[in-house]
Parts: sequence; C-alpha cells; structure tokens
Amino acid sequence: MSDSPLVEVKGLHFSRGEKSIFAGVELQIPRGKITAIMGPSGTGKTTLLKLIGGQLTPDVGRVLIDGYDVHALSRKALFTLRRRMGMLFQSGALFSDLSVFENVAFPLRVHTELPEAMVRDLTLMKLQAVGLRGARELMPAELSGGMARRVALARAIALDPDLILYDEPFVGQDPISKGVLVQLIKKLNQALGLTSIVVSHDIQETLSIADYVYVIADGQVMAHGTPDGLDVDDDPRVSQFVHGEPDGPVPFHYPAPEYFDDILNQEGLQ
Amino acid sequence: MIQRVLSLGRRGCDVLEALGRSTLFLAQSAFGVPSREGWYLWLRQMHFVGVLSLAIVMVSGLFIGMVLALQGYTILVDFGAEQALGQMVALSLLRELSPVVAALLFAGRAGSALTAEIGLMKATEQLTSMEMIGVDPLRRIVAPRLWAGFVALPLLTIGFSVVGIYGGYLVGVEWLGVFEGSYWGNMQSSVAFIGDVGNGMIKSMVFALVVTWIAVFQGYDLIPTSEGISRATTRTVVYSSLAVLGLDFVLTAVMFGGFS
Repeated sequence: MSDSPLVEVKGLHFSRGEKSIFAGVELQIPRGKITAIMGPSGTGKTTLLKLIGGQLTPDVGRVLIDGYDVHALSRKALFTLRRRMGMLFQSGALFSDLSVFENVAFPLRVHTELPEAMVRDLTLMKLQAVGLRGARELMPAELSGGMARRVALARAIALDPDLILYDEPFVGQDPISKGVLVQLIKKLNQALGLTSIVVSHDIQETLSIADYVYVIADGQVMAHGTPDGLDVDDDPRVSQFVHGEPDGPVPFHYPAPEYFDDILNQEGLQ
Repeated sequence: MIQRVLSLGRRGCDVLEALGRSTLFLAQSAFGVPSREGWYLWLRQMHFVGVLSLAIVMVSGLFIGMVLALQGYTILVDFGAEQALGQMVALSLLRELSPVVAALLFAGRAGSALTAEIGLMKATEQLTSMEMIGVDPLRRIVAPRLWAGFVALPLLTIGFSVVGIYGGYLVGVEWLGVFEGSYWGNMQSSVAFIGDVGNGMIKSMVFALVVTWIAVFQGYDLIPTSEGISRATTRTVVYSSLAVLGLDFVLTAVMFGGFS
C-alpha cells in the first residue's frame, strides 16, 4: 500500500462552458515526495488543485486519494478526507476576523477535543516552524504578503495532514520570502513526512525543491520526469515555457485580424 | 424572433435554476443541531444584525409613530373622533407599518452588510479554505447568520411598534391634547392579541426569513469580483424590498381580506 501513489488522477476531462480546460490528464503523485505541476498561466493549474480537493467535479475521469474516489464520496466523507489534506491558497485566505494565533488554532479547535493548553502548545509549535511565533497576536490585515502565506502554511499543517497542496506559493513574493518559502516547503516535507503538490510557474524555485515534475499545457501533460531528467527540448511548447521565450507555440499576440488590414481598414471608423 | 423566444426561455430556466439552488442552499444551511460553538456564533451574529440595527429601527419607529399621530389627528378631528387616535396608531403599526418598515430598514442595514461580508469572504477564498480545512461554510458561516436574522427581525419589529406607539402618545396626548385615558383605553379595547399582534408577528417572521435568506444567498452565490459584490449588495436590497412589499399584500389579503 505504501508504495502505491497517494494521489492518482485518471483520464481527467474538465471544461468550463464551451472551453475545454483538461482533456485526459493522467498524474501519479508518489508518497513522501514533492511533486511539481508547472505550466503557463491560464492552463488551469489552480483548477487542477480544486479538482483534487473535490471542490470541482470533473466531466470525465477520476481522482483517487489513498484509494478513495474523491468525487464519489458523500459530502460528509469528503469533509473527513479533507482533514488529511492541507491547502495553501494563493492569497493565503486567512480568516480576517481571527488573529494569527486563532487562525492556526482553528483546525485544531473544530476537529479535535483537545484541552486549551494543548491547542496552545500545538499552535505555537506550528507558528515556530514558520518563524512567526512572535506574530501570534497580529491580525491578518497587519501582515505582509509573505508573512500571511507563512501563517496560512502553519494553518495548513495544523492537523498534520498527509497531503499538502500549494497553489502558486511563490507568486508576488520578494526574493527573501521566496527563499524562506522554498526552505519551508522542503523542510516541512522532510520533517513531517508529507506528500506535497506544488503548482507553480516559477521554474527555478520549483525545480530546486521538486522530486518529480509534470508540465501541463493545452489541457494535457506535455512532459514529466525528475528535474534533471526532464526532457525539455522534446516538445516546443515545453521548451518555450522552460526557457522563458516570449514568442513561440504560445503566441505573444492574442488572436487578432491581420495587423496591416486592421490599421488600414478605416471602415470601422465611419 | 426565434432568438427572442429562445432567450426568453433561457432566462426562465435561469430563474428556475436560481430558485432551486437557493432552496437547496437554505435546506442545507438552516437545519442541523447546533453545537455549543454554534450558539456562540449565533449570539455574535445576533449582536451584529440585531443589536446594531436597534438604533436605526427605534429612531424610525419613533418618527413614524409621531407622524402617524399627527396625520391621523388632523383627519379624525374633523369628525370629532380624535379619541380613536390610539387605536388608529396602534392598529396601523401592529398590522402593517412595523413589520414592513422594520423589514425594509433591516434589508438596508443588515441584509446588505451580510451580503457584502459573505461575498468578500468568498472573494478572498476564505470560504474555500474553510471547506478545505474540512469545515462546511454553510454550517459555520451561513447558518448562524440565517438564524440570527430570523430571530432578530421579529424582535426589532416589536421594538418598532412599542416605540411607535409611544411616539404617537407624545404627539397625540402630550402635544395635541387628546385625552390620555381614551388614547390608551381605546387602544386596549380594539387591539386583538392574536388577530392584530399575532398576525403582525407572523408577517414579520415571514419577512425575516425572506430578507435574510436573500441576503446570505446573494452573498454566497455572487461572482467574486468587486463588481460582483456591488451588484449582489444592490440585488439584496432590491429583491428583499420587493419581496417584502409583495408578500405583505398577499399576507394582508389572507389575514384581513375576509375570504373564508
């Protein structure tokens, strides 16, 4: 059992309205490892996390977490399964009416019957792990973006989950915060024996911590492998993404009529 | 032409779908055994939607009672019937004005705030993150607010009537010189507890349910952008006002229309 992947995504199809977002995605997330899912903006990476977390339902295909089909579970069973998952949101998504301490203590209070002294100790331990034990009295509005994300991380690991999902953890962070988050994700994964899924388009940071990488574009897995073994030049789209080229298979221009015609065609003005 | 028929049909389906969604939403959030923490959350919301709406509701009640007495007096005095002022003020307030005006004020003061608050929670992913923590936001966020509104508005309506009747007393008795005994005496003999006070309270409970339901549903269902929040807040006030006035007519027809 422990050799089988913790998360399996099988033949996933998903569309929003007319627009197809995923057309047959297959992923296997091994236990105890950091798996990165990368791809250009707008390829539905966050949507993929929401599908794994059971907030969205795929049109076709299955998501298995530790053998449970996420979308076949009852609402109650799904909420029970989610206690074994933590998710770090892009915005942090801290509860704005609770202090830092209460935010981190929230999962403990609602899911356990622990005495207050124990809740306090556990909360302070989690805050210590992200280096914000001293900020416990602050309100979310008083935190910088990087600090808010670290508090959210402490909250996500409050119940010692098996699986943690990071949604764009590095976006909008200064180099110091980025470094801190890279360190934290790696350290927590090792120390707590977590399985991590990092969704990101920050190539350097992500490749430096990932054990395995999936690259997604156009609703499909374009390439996958270990960071060193990832054959980036096999597919032009992957190559463009990894090397950060402005134009290529992913065009610089949004679809438009011919430039020449558009400029010279004055009919629209009359 | 076909296009118009099509879009009409599509709009009809949208309306029906929204109705279904909001009914499911109500059923999922309103019922369930509250935990000890649930009571605490409910109390906090009672403070937010009830206590903080007290000032505006009481002041409006006072003025409406005073205006009612003033207008009523100028009409009644022509017929030498100013002794009936007390019953006129009390009946208009208890049957109509208190439930309706309190509900309209409540929609503006508390309903819009509920929509904006829940909407902003949605926009900042707080609802989603709560779901991922394994806590159902329908039970934790929506249910206490729904029940607080449902309990608070009838209480506010009682306060509105009391203050309004007192306002009528100030103007009618203290200022215009209606005999105090007939103000209270006529009121006592003509107001039926079940027929007038009771029916007014039933109205108020219906309005409370509808206004709070609309407010929390609009907040929960909105498109999480700044434009979406502003639209949903407006919709809350518009829909609840229309629903209150429309339902008031229906309920009045049933209660006092004399069809039986």
